[in-house]
Amino acid sequence: MSWLRPSRLWRAAPLKRHYEVVIIGGGIHGLATAYYLARTHGIRDVAVLESHYIGFGGSGRNTAIVRANQRTAENVRLYDEGLKLWPVLTDELDFNLMFFNCGNLNLGHSEAAMNAFRMQASTHNLLGVKSELLDPQQCADVIPGLDISDRLAFPIHGGLYHPPGGIVRHDAVVWGLAKGASEHGVHIHQGCEVRGIDTREGRVTGVRTSLGAIGCKRLGIMAGGYGSAVAAMLGIELPIHPLTIQAMVTHPFKPFLHHVFSSGAYHVYANQTLKGEIATGAHMDPQVNYTTDATAYYLKHQAEALSELMPALRGVRFMRIWSGLADMTPDMAPIMEGELGCDGLYLDAGWGYFGFKSGPVAGKYMAEYMSSGERPEILRAFQLKRFLEGRYSGETASVMKYGHWD
Amino acid sequence: MTFRLTCPVCGKRDVYEFTFGGQERGPRPEQDGLSAEEHFRWTQFRLIPNEPQEEWWYHGQGCGVWFKTTRDPGTNREVK
Amino acid sequence: MTGYAGDTVASALYGAGVRIFGRSLKYHRPRGLYSMEGESANTFMSIDGIPNECAETTELRAGMAIAPQNVRGDPRRDRFGFLNAFDRLMPAGFYYHLFHRPQFLWPLFQSGLRRMAGTGVLDLQGDYGTGVRTERYLNADVVVVGGGPAGMAAALAAGESGLRVCLFERRRQLGGQMSWRVRDFEGEPLYRRAEALAARVRAAENVKVLTRSLATGVWGENLVTGFTVGTEDDPFRECHWECRARTVVVAAGCMDRPLVFNQNDRPGVMQVGTAWRLARTYGIRPGKSVAFSVADDLGLEAAIDLDDLGVRVRFIADARESGQQDRAVFQALSDRAIPFFPGCAVSRAVGRKRVRGCVLRSLKGRGSRRFHCDLLVANAGMQPRIGTLATANARLAYCAHTHGYQPTELPPGVFVAGSMTGLRDPRSIEASGRVAGYGAAVWCGDRAKSGARAAGRGPSLSPGRASRAAEAAVREAKALPGPPAGCGIIHAPAIGRGAKAFVDLDEDGTYKNVKESMARGLDVPELAKRFAGFGLGPGQYRVAGQNLAMIMADLRGDPVETAHATTVRPPLGAPSIATLAGPGHDVHKRTPLHAEQAARGAVFRRAGPWQRARHFGDDPSCRDEIRNVRTNVGILDSSPLGKFRIHGPDALKALQRVYISDMRKTRPGSCKYSAMCNDMGQLMDDGVVVNEGPDDYYFTTSSARAGATVEWFRFHTRHDGWDYNLVNLTDALGSLNIAGPNARRVLERVTGANVSNEAFPYLACRRITVGGGVEARCLRLGFVGELSFELHAPASCVPYLWDLLMEAGADFRVRPFGLEAQNCLRAEKGHVIIGTESEQRVTLTDIGMGWMWDRENTVSKKVGAPALRACERQPGRLKLVGLRVEEGAKAPRDGTLVVDGEKIVGYVCTTRSSETLGWQYGLALVHREHAFPGRRIHLCHEEKAGGRVTSTAFVISPHFYDPRGQRLRS
Repeated sequence: MSWLRPSRLWRAAPLKRHYEVVIIGGGIHGLATAYYLARTHGIRDVAVLESHYIGFGGSGRNTAIVRANQRTAENVRLYDEGLKLWPVLTDELDFNLMFFNCGNLNLGHSEAAMNAFRMQASTHNLLGVKSELLDPQQCADVIPGLDISDRLAFPIHGGLYHPPGGIVRHDAVVWGLAKGASEHGVHIHQGCEVRGIDTREGRVTGVRTSLGAIGCKRLGIMAGGYGSAVAAMLGIELPIHPLTIQAMVTHPFKPFLHHVFSSGAYHVYANQTLKGEIATGAHMDPQVNYTTDATAYYLKHQAEALSELMPALRGVRFMRIWSGLADMTPDMAPIMEGELGCDGLYLDAGWGYFGFKSGPVAGKYMAEYMSSGERPEILRAFQLKRFLEGRYSGETASVMKYGHWD
Repeated sequence: MTFRLTCPVCGKRDVYEFTFGGQERGPRPEQDGLSAEEHFRWTQFRLIPNEPQEEWWYHGQGCGVWFKTTRDPGTNREVK
Repeated sequence: MTGYAGDTVASALYGAGVRIFGRSLKYHRPRGLYSMEGESANTFMSIDGIPNECAETTELRAGMAIAPQNVRGDPRRDRFGFLNAFDRLMPAGFYYHLFHRPQFLWPLFQSGLRRMAGTGVLDLQGDYGTGVRTERYLNADVVVVGGGPAGMAAALAAGESGLRVCLFERRRQLGGQMSWRVRDFEGEPLYRRAEALAARVRAAENVKVLTRSLATGVWGENLVTGFTVGTEDDPFRECHWECRARTVVVAAGCMDRPLVFNQNDRPGVMQVGTAWRLARTYGIRPGKSVAFSVADDLGLEAAIDLDDLGVRVRFIADARESGQQDRAVFQALSDRAIPFFPGCAVSRAVGRKRVRGCVLRSLKGRGSRRFHCDLLVANAGMQPRIGTLATANARLAYCAHTHGYQPTELPPGVFVAGSMTGLRDPRSIEASGRVAGYGAAVWCGDRAKSGARAAGRGPSLSPGRASRAAEAAVREAKALPGPPAGCGIIHAPAIGRGAKAFVDLDEDGTYKNVKESMARGLDVPELAKRFAGFGLGPGQYRVAGQNLAMIMADLRGDPVETAHATTVRPPLGAPSIATLAGPGHDVHKRTPLHAEQAARGAVFRRAGPWQRARHFGDDPSCRDEIRNVRTNVGILDSSPLGKFRIHGPDALKALQRVYISDMRKTRPGSCKYSAMCNDMGQLMDDGVVVNEGPDDYYFTTSSARAGATVEWFRFHTRHDGWDYNLVNLTDALGSLNIAGPNARRVLERVTGANVSNEAFPYLACRRITVGGGVEARCLRLGFVGELSFELHAPASCVPYLWDLLMEAGADFRVRPFGLEAQNCLRAEKGHVIIGTESEQRVTLTDIGMGWMWDRENTVSKKVGAPALRACERQPGRLKLVGLRVEEGAKAPRDGTLVVDGEKIVGYVCTTRSSETLGWQYGLALVHREHAFPGRRIHLCHEEKAGGRVTSTAFVISPHFYDPRGQRLRS
């Protein structure tokens, strides 16, 4: 009957003037790293600094889709491990993260898209991650109401169905990890904005914050879309562009959409939340920015796309639109790096669209990296230096035009 | 945010008429003696503090001019 | 059921005696008519088969089908009503602590939760959003949001200043709260005053009045969106608006701030405005015996008016101890002998399915008194409708005087007026509208004047007079009463442990849930909102927003001024997807030969902005089309090919910058094939460049890049100040490609030009006259690997050329071929298609095109050259290779992986079983370590777990067909 006796999910801790590890960013990456540092590696003298409230950024603004159907083997392995962590964490944290294992369907609208799906499905299945190519009729069987006729500007040629994916309650992940981290001794400080980073003789020594200076031996920058602004405090240039990405929900309905679906050609992904709203998003404006402003343009765009793909949605109303930041890299793969020219400094950034689904697994390996100083094998593919060698990860096939994310 | 930009030819227009061309970072570096790292850094690496930056925009749905303007990424507004 | 013209579905239902409109989301509590503007989901129902329609804001039409939703059976006897008894077992966020152990049971619980959640039922086969949906894009000097007295006064002031004004009003009539108030205003009832104002606004030339039109938000730099609901006479059902305004006047008015008390969600508890409008606007007696618990003079006025209409007012409780401004109201109360209890509020509604009475308490003392009533009008005073201001990014803060959110900083060009600023005196409200209207005129400056003159509009104020008028309006407003003190009551007295005092109706969020959120450490409204759902339902922030912030500040022990409300998210009021989507035009381009190809059975596919012929007839594998090109002659419509002219003194410099080859080597009358890279050395585009005279070049790009080429050239030369002109001729010129061993013979029949191999060799470019009068550029190229001529001619002439060639080639049995045949033909030749054989991991060199690169040239600062140099010798890169697939049971397909054991070492980009070659070829990107001729590699694809298909192939040169290029030179 513990649910009837409300107690604090995480402790209100006193702000110490020095911690072994300070993590900038109270989203799921930062909280997961803190959790694993304390739980797995025994480093409990950890503070997570959050400028607003935990989960303020991308962690609370995404559409909560989780999956492992990436394009390259290195990425599939990482996300697959991440996907398998949801039930484990639910149990470990004793907090229901509400993993809804409904599967994801990516729609293909051209022969080229279907060929790309064949390559992806083969990669997934070879690595033991289930994926399946569907024809249009099978797509409509999975997602009733899809228009598979040729009335569409971009008719559906088929799909890539990925049964292990689904959706997770994003806020629950934030609170569950905060609860878990706090139980292992981590201090979580909300309303603590980092304004500067101190170094001495090539070592990080602490941060200056709105609540005063805090010393540390190791510092993790895990600030999601704000990561590049934090790195800029140290003059560190990154191949990361913070862009706004928007999402919206409709009025709530009785369940009719039982899987996640997405469409590259229409720039849409959609799922039905546990509460019955259709949560949908994907659009990104190209200019770098730190606002979280939504646009009228996109609300209309999304309506146009959805009404084509699933005509019954024409009878549905949009209730709320919002936006968050995505930290885009040119190859749409993250940067997890401890060699930044400053000892004790670690960066976990550049997750772009994929920051939510990767949170726990990134935290797990960043904790290993930060505690040992040794780069875990699985993170070798995500070094910063690949961009200085002209070796993209291939997580997306498309090439950049001007170098910034476009 | 559906903001506007000031095209030097056409005046204030909706941002969706423009293509973003990234931060201004000066002319292309000389290629003689340019190291791979210097090149890739120049191509992709940026410092993006949350403060106004000079950047390039292209008026593709209008007159077709590339121009520089200063925009605050914290507000998405042009700064005079 | 019957109703009257002008009724909403809700008012008609209420008039017909319906009191229970639906059931709540979580506890299935009966819900009634609480508001009139869709502030909660209480009256959501299925209307004409469309779920989640709000009865309060939907106008009644004859023949409507109306049904309740989220109930089992009749809403009066919902079978899930028992859930209400279990609310103690369902504290805020209870599901986070339940159902996950044992884990295998969770999917079961989850499925149950999903079924219980949601409200309306969407029929996936339903035909929704029918009728005409239009969209309009306006520019205006002033957009006024709200057609109440302040909004109308602002519109008139701005309109008479010569500005173009657009006014959005959600209701069907102008007038706001004035339109149902009868009290005397300077000798006439207020509603008459509203009518007079409305008549003037409607008559004003510069003012466009949009009623039934909800403004859904103000986006960056005053872009106002909204939608208009059409009536039966309109040609459209709904219209979506986007209006770019120079200034916005927000006069959105107020709504009741709900009073938080036990059982405050019972049917029969309603807002002041709801009861008042039922009586005055819709002519329905809202109840027989009514109790009032209010905190604002407007509530007192409403009570008196209802009393005058014959509703028995049991009592009026006013949460304010003092501060009532209106002496006349006091007099009216005592004249009517209505019991008046200052400093008191209702603490509980009595009655199970609807209100039968209530309990009144003093806010300070302990005594309580019980009354019978069948209607309980309750609020905690009025709160401003802050949505529009909030979406406009105005900075809002809690005002301890008016006890509402007030702007502390307005964005440029945004003005605020009317009762939302806390004003209550009708004269002050109108005056504030004039201040805003003239303020907008001053802001717009002289443009107002010149614009009006240019448009030939009526009299307008000069800027000087506008600012004098603005000053006068300010003086007038200052002389009038300012905002009276509001009421800061946070909740009703005596909310005990068992109380069901709702802060949010849609998500069944109670005062107790707020406390539970706090106890979990989720102690700011944004976190409580996410944890317990406050303000997440269809009513959004409206009901819960201000109260939640005040309650949480209070529970934390902070002063109420520190109350930060949750962020208001647009759209304000929910537009339907059908309306936003609009008419849904499929915008695409057709080539000049679309009709000709369609007539020959073309199957079209979308390619970028174009509709292009994929194949002709019903063989998607295009066997005959391919054979015909290889052995005879075919014609391809290549019109989407990018076609450009660049000329001027610095044209060559620009070409040298963006093309990777040495472009000095272009010669008149011949085509130079080259490519463009990006700064990463990745292939962006390829095509030919023709030198057409001094500083004058003609070049082609892939069709996908045609739209971005001008941008690309100018971007990469933007710092140089070079003098060149670049003209996009893509749409002006059509093109077609005659390919095959008989191509020359067909061409000879339609032109007098010498097209022999000697006079017109491979890679030559000539201007020739075709069909006796059409001048065309003729390029001898070989993308498909055969003798071929590409004719570029004015788009309007291309259909003529097509007919001519088809006729001339009739005895050769010339036939068209489409994109898929071209794709196979070029792949047999080993020619790449960008994006098919290239991707972000490979450079130009990796795909075997490095020979183009003029590596000595560093002066031109070629785009991509440093990257090519850096990656040239890197180990571990993917390389493009040719494959000869070994015959086996299963063939590889496009996308098949190249594997080394369990390791993925590449993938097949394009593979076809070729009739020409007699075997299956492939183009693949393979790790360098495997990318040498003679290597036997393993292929596998697995489209479904367990369905692995494996095959083997040998790496060979990708130039499978005619490797020495004799055919295209023949």
